[in-house]
Amino acid sequence: MTSELRHQCITPPYLLERLLKSDDGEVRQAALNTLLTTAHLRGERAVRAAFPGVATPGNARRTIYDCRNTTSLPFAVLARSEDRPESADVSVNRAFDKLGQTRDFFQRVFARNSIDGHGMRLDGYVHYGYEFANAFWNGRQMVFGDGDGRIFSDLTGSISVVAHELGHGVTEHTAGLEYHNQSGALNESMSDVFGAMVEQWTLGQTAELADWLIGREVFTPQVEADALRSMKAPGHAWNTKKFGKDPQPDHMSNYLNMPDTYEGDWGGVHYNSGIPNKAFYLTAATIGGYSWEAPGLIWYEALKASNSETRFQEFADTTYQKAGELYETGGAEQMAVLGAWQEVGISITGVSAGLARARSRTAGQKGDPLATVRSLTAQVQELSRDVAALKGRLTASR
Amino acid sequence: MRVTLATHGGLAAPVRAGLSPDVVDTDALPESATAELCRLVDAAVLAASAAAEDREAHRSAPDAMSYSVTVEEGGHSSVLVQSDRDMSPEFAALLRWLKEHAVRE
Repeated sequence: MTSELRHQCITPPYLLERLLKSDDGEVRQAALNTLLTTAHLRGERAVRAAFPGVATPGNARRTIYDCRNTTSLPFAVLARSEDRPESADVSVNRAFDKLGQTRDFFQRVFARNSIDGHGMRLDGYVHYGYEFANAFWNGRQMVFGDGDGRIFSDLTGSISVVAHELGHGVTEHTAGLEYHNQSGALNESMSDVFGAMVEQWTLGQTAELADWLIGREVFTPQVEADALRSMKAPGHAWNTKKFGKDPQPDHMSNYLNMPDTYEGDWGGVHYNSGIPNKAFYLTAATIGGYSWEAPGLIWYEALKASNSETRFQEFADTTYQKAGELYETGGAEQMAVLGAWQEVGISITGVSAGLARARSRTAGQKGDPLATVRSLTAQVQELSRDVAALKGRLTASR
Repeated sequence: MRVTLATHGGLAAPVRAGLSPDVVDTDALPESATAELCRLVDAAVLAASAAAEDREAHRSAPDAMSYSVTVEEGGHSSVLVQSDRDMSPEFAALLRWLKEHAVRE
């Protein structure tokens, strides 16, 4: 006989009876305390759920807390804030700096004031748990583990991972994509898109020069794996004896229908994200230049126009529509989007496959004069910004 | 008694899916360690039983991992499942103990 006890779930009667009818007064008291605590937590969750749109004003201030290898966020200690000096703890400083880089990216590139667009404070928790090999967004805070030291390293070491987690917050405050099946895979993909863009932005890399890897730094040196995921080549980030081969699909024909359960990664959200990831990479590679410019803006605007149940097809259609609105109907950007989705097995609604192939070939040709001009224009604009910034510094120093 | 810890999901879900679960067999443990494990399991079960079903809470924390602890004893087995989002301190203590003492299959 097997019974399942989900947290907040069904109790095996034999075990519960034994504990609740214990002769030991301490056990009975523990039962009572637990009941009171969980009732309090349930109430807190219910109150928060009643105000989903409430922002947390804070001028996007960063605060890093140290969990001291416990799983308790309320009892974590303050480790660094905007008005405190650098910490002696490298994880604290890395989380602080990377949250700042990600915050600056959203502000300067998309004119977005923090996660919620209203200056939400950025609270990061490091040293969470014991050998905790993960990082996650819990709806209000970002949590980072130290890794297990055998396979995974400290998760604060990767800018693409930090930006990925903060990206979940942005998605929650925009489309609110439900975290399961196709909407969940889109949610994951958007976080990878943000992760890649923030890394490339901090390095000043063009789409051509970037490696498009997510979480390059998360594995220990003993593990022969490039990264957690490859947006350029989903399914090829790792192939090891220890944990097998990267299973991410890069085409709808290989979409993985997995159970919508925790065992099934909520319908394979970390697996099928490979498909829209590849579409973003192809769009950026075809347009050329910086991923955070035209490709990033198209994806970001499409995210804002999406809803909690948006699936791949609808999102692809929205990116095509946004590319036409933001740039030019039938222009290089829109054709790049069209061709990218076509290549991963998604045809834009209302556009014939033949036309899509023909147009995407034109848009993707190396030496395409229009693409070259756009790429050069972007580079000139970037140089102009650098020169303006240098002039500002010189003026300030006089 | 045999206790198995399987970890699912998280930022590296596909990597984790290829890893073996952590296993503790009390036959290989000193009596005091077995007693400690039983105490931790009981405490985690008690804490879990006091809370209500809230499946959506798992979904609302992207990249959170889920943990299933299977306890097998005398032909009977039970499974306790919790996630990073809302695990009890008692479950966290059990998780830590299992990580410290388990051997991977």
